[in-house]
Amino acid sequence: MRGHNMTVCARMRRDLGLALLLLLSAAVESDGMSPPGKPVFLGCRSPEKETFTCWWEPGSGGGLPTTHRLYYEREKLEGTHECPDYHSAGKNSCFFDKDHTSIWVDYYLTVVASNALGNATSGHFKMDVMEIVKPNAPENVTLQVMKREDNPYLHVRWEHPHNTDTKSGWVTIKYELRVKHRNNNEWKEYTSGTQTQFNLYNINPGEMYVVQVRCRLDHGSWSEWSNSTSVKTFNYPQNDKPFWILVSALSTVPFLTAMCILVIKRKYVKKVLLPPVPGPKIRGIDVQLLKRGRSEDVSNALIINQGFPSVPAWKDEIEDYLIVSDDVLLPDPHRKKKSLTVAAGFHLNLEIQCKESLGQRDWEKAEERKNGIDTFPPQLPTQKQLCPNVTFVHAEATDQRWPIHDAAAESTVQLLAPTGYVDIQRHKSMQEEADGNEMDYTRVNDGNILILQKDKFPGCMDVQRQEENIPEDYSRVKEVDGDNKVLLQRQSFSADSSCGEKGTPYTDCTNKKPINPHVPGPSKVELIGSGYVDTIY
Amino acid sequence: MSGTIRSVSVVWLLLLCLVLCRTLTGTGAAPICANAQAGCYAVSLANLFDRVVQHSARMHGISNDLHSEFEQYFLPSKNQVGRVGRNCHTSTILTPNGKENAQRMAREELTEVILKLLVAWRDPLWHFHRSMAHHHDFTNFSSDKALEMSDMVHELRKGVERVAEKMQTLGLMSDPVNSQVSPEALPPPDSGEWRRMKDYDLLYCFRRDSNKVKNYLKILKCRIVPEHGC
Repeated sequence: MRGHNMTVCARMRRDLGLALLLLLSAAVESDGMSPPGKPVFLGCRSPEKETFTCWWEPGSGGGLPTTHRLYYEREKLEGTHECPDYHSAGKNSCFFDKDHTSIWVDYYLTVVASNALGNATSGHFKMDVMEIVKPNAPENVTLQVMKREDNPYLHVRWEHPHNTDTKSGWVTIKYELRVKHRNNNEWKEYTSGTQTQFNLYNINPGEMYVVQVRCRLDHGSWSEWSNSTSVKTFNYPQNDKPFWILVSALSTVPFLTAMCILVIKRKYVKKVLLPPVPGPKIRGIDVQLLKRGRSEDVSNALIINQGFPSVPAWKDEIEDYLIVSDDVLLPDPHRKKKSLTVAAGFHLNLEIQCKESLGQRDWEKAEERKNGIDTFPPQLPTQKQLCPNVTFVHAEATDQRWPIHDAAAESTVQLLAPTGYVDIQRHKSMQEEADGNEMDYTRVNDGNILILQKDKFPGCMDVQRQEENIPEDYSRVKEVDGDNKVLLQRQSFSADSSCGEKGTPYTDCTNKKPINPHVPGPSKVELIGSGYVDTIY
Repeated sequence: MSGTIRSVSVVWLLLLCLVLCRTLTGTGAAPICANAQAGCYAVSLANLFDRVVQHSARMHGISNDLHSEFEQYFLPSKNQVGRVGRNCHTSTILTPNGKENAQRMAREELTEVILKLLVAWRDPLWHFHRSMAHHHDFTNFSSDKALEMSDMVHELRKGVERVAEKMQTLGLMSDPVNSQVSPEALPPPDSGEWRRMKDYDLLYCFRRDSNKVKNYLKILKCRIVPEHGC
């Protein structure tokens, strides 16, 4: 029995001990003590390709003081080595100085965290120094606004990070810079290559510019951006403005004066700029008198000193020649009609000397016909042949109306309905021709020739002959000249012998009736100068 | 008719002759040589160095790009590589691994190291380019880069040789370097080893070696002709 009791007691003691142990361990655990957590590598970095530093992150603490150790193995180096310097680079770091750094070889790093309760090892971290190069930022960045004529630019200058050795060519540094306006958030980047300076040309005046620079070694990582450096550019030069204000002020005064003058003298200006177009005016006629309508005024209006050429000018025996074209043949009984038709395109060239009123009348008739005016005095048709007629050669077989206003018409024709006169304002040259020439013709169209010739006024003999033989509307052919030229002879004869007077050959032709034998004196002959013949009874 | 043909052909021949003679005697496109000899024009040592340094920088840049591309698409589990990582076939060549070491090295030795490296990479890069061209996984861009890289190694080597020549003629360097560096004298560096390397490792090794070459050349330049850029 006692032996049994003994074992029971032992067992119970054992159980108690176990329980106590458990309690203890539980108590210990409830305070947070454990082996350390696994550390993690953060990375390594070499700022100048000659040394490097590695950092790690410790795992969960485990409650107990933990130590971390870094071990490394290296290519071409036997054995495992420990970190040479845990302190220079701060906490949880390992700094490899020059003697311990080799480029172009692989390092295999591990960190071991250990505390009283255990160890924890991080994974292997393989690296080559060539790959972890990251320089410091460039230093001493200076910014200057350079003024050069009208093109200011920014001159940026900096230095390489002081720990890099560019002199021996060990590292080749490439730079980059970025610029922005003060208030903007957009950076503009530029590459500077290996230069330690840069010029910025596209700057605006009056702005604040901020510049930052960074660099990298060979093909490594870029450094951080340097601290911002800023500068303010000059404003636009102000001195130009007052000059322009002055100029504009000075120029407005004469401008305003000119405008005032123009306004005040606008009538004069208008006259100068837009000269009034003279209305049609007939020399020798006073329009105002005509308008009044009283007979004596009208006749006064018409008989104005016009400076007719002296009568002796007409003393020359001038022949009137008429040229008739193919279409118009003399014995043609229809000639009458044709003689009145106006050739198309014929130049109403009032150089036609219709000295005799009859001829003039014919011509007038033609004119009126052209114009479609029916104010044809009834007595006129019978008087045609008595005048040297202006026969318009009908070359084109058209009866077109002839536009009266021809561009070259140098005379104006004013039809006076009551009297049936046509006033032809003669060209001065015509007068000269009238004085001297025998032949007076106008070549108007191709092949159409209008020839007017002052007919020699032979005398009255022919009158009788003519009266006998020739019907009223016919003309005697004087000469056939060429294919399409027929010279007609039209003589203005009066029935009386008064035609013998050379001085006044035309005066008889004003009407068909036996003409007034009274030949008005030369003074009353208003002739060719004005272009019409006026018979004053 | 035949007369005109003949005259025309004679004229053409004359023109051709003129053009050819011009190109032969003209100095417009004359090759560069270290010494001013007939038919080529001399370039200064500084200029030669500049060219060579720029060339090596560009070569390293291309290798860097290709390596990054590879890492993107064929990312090997980096951190799980054990102690025995890659072993570049050029690891037998002794190269200074730090600034002081490089500076302490004589210029002849340094030049020799550079040339050795360049020689060692000629064949592997050519083969690499071929394998890239065959693999349709790679873009044309990568394939072009590989070809360019391989060409550049070749040209860079010639350039460095010329620099060495020039330095010797200028008395800056002693003679025996060249003979040591000629490809025939060099023991073929483990000719089979690089074939066993994977493409990614090849790129990794070349990236490193091109960086070495670039750095050594720069050091040489700043030591010998430090005028500008140092």
